Amino acid sequence: MSKLLVDIGSTYIKISSSNGVFQKFRDFNRAILDDLTSKFADEIQRYEKDEIHICSSANGGLSTLIIGLTNSFSLKYATNIAFNSGINIIDTILYHNIENSPVAGELLDVVIIVGGIDSIGGVFDEKLFSYLSKLNYSNIVYVGSKKDREYLSENIENLVILENIITEKLKVNEEPLKEYLTNLYQQDIVGKEDIKELYTLSSNQIYSTPYIVNQSLPYIDANFEVINPFIVIDIGGATTDIHYSRDLSRDNMVIDSEYDRLVFKKLGVYKSKDSLVYAAKNNEFVYELLNVLNVTENILEEESEQATKILMQLSIFLVLCKVSIHTSLYITLNMHLLKSIVLTGGITKVLSYDEVEVIVQFFYKKILNTTAIPTILLDSNYDIWTLGMKALGEKDVD
Amino acid sequence: MYKVVTGVVGNDIHVVANRLIDISLQARGFEVFNLGVNTYLEEFIDAVVETDADVLLISSLNGEAEGWCRELQFLMAEYELKDVTFVIGGNLSVGESKDEDLVKKYQSYGFDLVFHQIELNDGLDQLEEFLGKKS
Ligand code: B12
Repeated sequence: MSKLLVDIGSTYIKISSSNGVFQKFRDFNRAILDDLTSKFADEIQRYEKDEIHICSSANGGLSTLIIGLTNSFSLKYATNIAFNSGINIIDTILYHNIENSPVAGELLDVVIIVGGIDSIGGVFDEKLFSYLSKLNYSNIVYVGSKKDREYLSENIENLVILENIITEKLKVNEEPLKEYLTNLYQQDIVGKEDIKELYTLSSNQIYSTPYIVNQSLPYIDANFEVINPFIVIDIGGATTDIHYSRDLSRDNMVIDSEYDRLVFKKLGVYKSKDSLVYAAKNNEFVYELLNVLNVTENILEEESEQATKILMQLSIFLVLCKVSIHTSLYITLNMHLLKSIVLTGGITKVLSYDEVEVIVQFFYKKILNTTAIPTILLDSNYDIWTLGMKALGEKDVD
Repeated sequence: MYKVVTGVVGNDIHVVANRLIDISLQARGFEVFNLGVNTYLEEFIDAVVETDADVLLISSLNGEAEGWCRELQFLMAEYELKDVTFVIGGNLSVGESKDEDLVKKYQSYGFDLVFHQIELNDGLDQLEEFLGKKS
């Protein structure tokens, strides 16, 4: 059975049909359905509702606040699970600083509370309730120590209680929270009027795009010239995503899934351009890199095709730096073991192979002191996404 | 039952002693949370907080310990870890160094028991004795 695959992004809409892959810029003055049907009318007409599969990263995703006991365990585990469930916007609060932590002004989709292995009690107290009373949220879930469940549910209205994400051996228990967040995400997509209208075209479930990319990862090395362990970097308008093989992780964290996702919400080229520039200016190697690229820092303030290219190149460099240096808040990858780097998303339409290679070479030479670099692959035809959509389509059929 | 968090600090990847420590502690009736090699000090402290452990037993074999462990006092203060017993052992210095000087130095960082090149079982006997006296 032939299928029409559709991806609604924050900058592009793309489709994949038996005729190939096509993409067009989003028109933000039109509703998504209208924009899609007017741009790809002929293609859409050729398919039945059950042959059309849609995914979207355009709705921004859920906003999440995680309150946890430590950086290295509760916050790290919960953040990792949230990313793997397709959530982008995450803020974290370390419980012992809660009294001095800023209070989010906007409405939060979900607050996650976590801390302690099951056998310890008395982790949370009044400080938590007084902080929560200042927040505005739609859902709240507790995934910490068993012993505190009763006390917290007596004091927090509508608290959802799930299994502890920290096991008795201090490892991560991913599934229950992941399932809960994935469901919330689906409900959220369905709830958004713009996305809801898309169901007039398709009778299949609409998924989040990162979820689709994640589905394709186990098949990538069989389908492309990619060697495990690899990373997939998806540089987008608002965020930069990285999907990685768990073999690269130096962490104590042991999970069943082979591939994880990390999101750098401040490294987007269009929507978070300012914070990308800020991060770049604070990186000690960036000026040298700009020099290698034959430009000056003034380029960062410009609006031009060349400036966009440079920003994308900088995002690659910054992401590689961030994942290779130990911080307790997110995973550190062993980049010496890395065999392949795959780039996907809009970046593949903007940068050439050489423009990517120069960055990877600079990174390996400056940060890792080696001239040997992993193989680089540009997924310029969105094959990864097509693979993920197909993998999912096959699952649905079973 | 006493709870112990253990592992090898810093960029150290010498794993053999770590396995032995895990087995020996369990045989002595401790509940063990083994973070393995390549563990940063903050991760150790965080593990103590999450498990409400009684003992933090750090080992270091490659000579890097000092650089990592100076920070112990700051992290201890941040979380108010008053009842925890802090232990370190392995090869705690590079090259020649007098044992008493080393012990004093690590005690000043906040360690209760310091075992430089001391046989594991001797060290663990002393730990049990120390815990016995404390309770
Ligand atoms: C095998 C080995 C390696 C292997 C490790 C393989 C692995 N994944 O485990 C490899 C080749 C990778 C390696 C690398 C290095 N090594 Co090496 N290595 C050794 C060696 C030969 C044996 C270690 C071992 O496993 N012993 C068996 C276990 C059971 O004994 P143990 O580790 O000493 O532990 C005992 C005690 O120390 C004690 N103990 C340990 N922790 C604790 C904690 C407490 C609380 C207590 C009470 C007791 C205790 O109990 C254990 C059982 O009795 C030793 C030399 C030696 N003969 O000891 C060097 C040695 C440890 N290595 C050393 C060095 C310098 C390195 C390198 C820096 C070398 C280099 N320049 O690249 C790197 C560092 C890598 C890194 N990032 O950590 C030095 C450390 C010097 C120092 N501290 O002053 C040693 C002592 C060699 C030497 N004499 O120079 N090494």
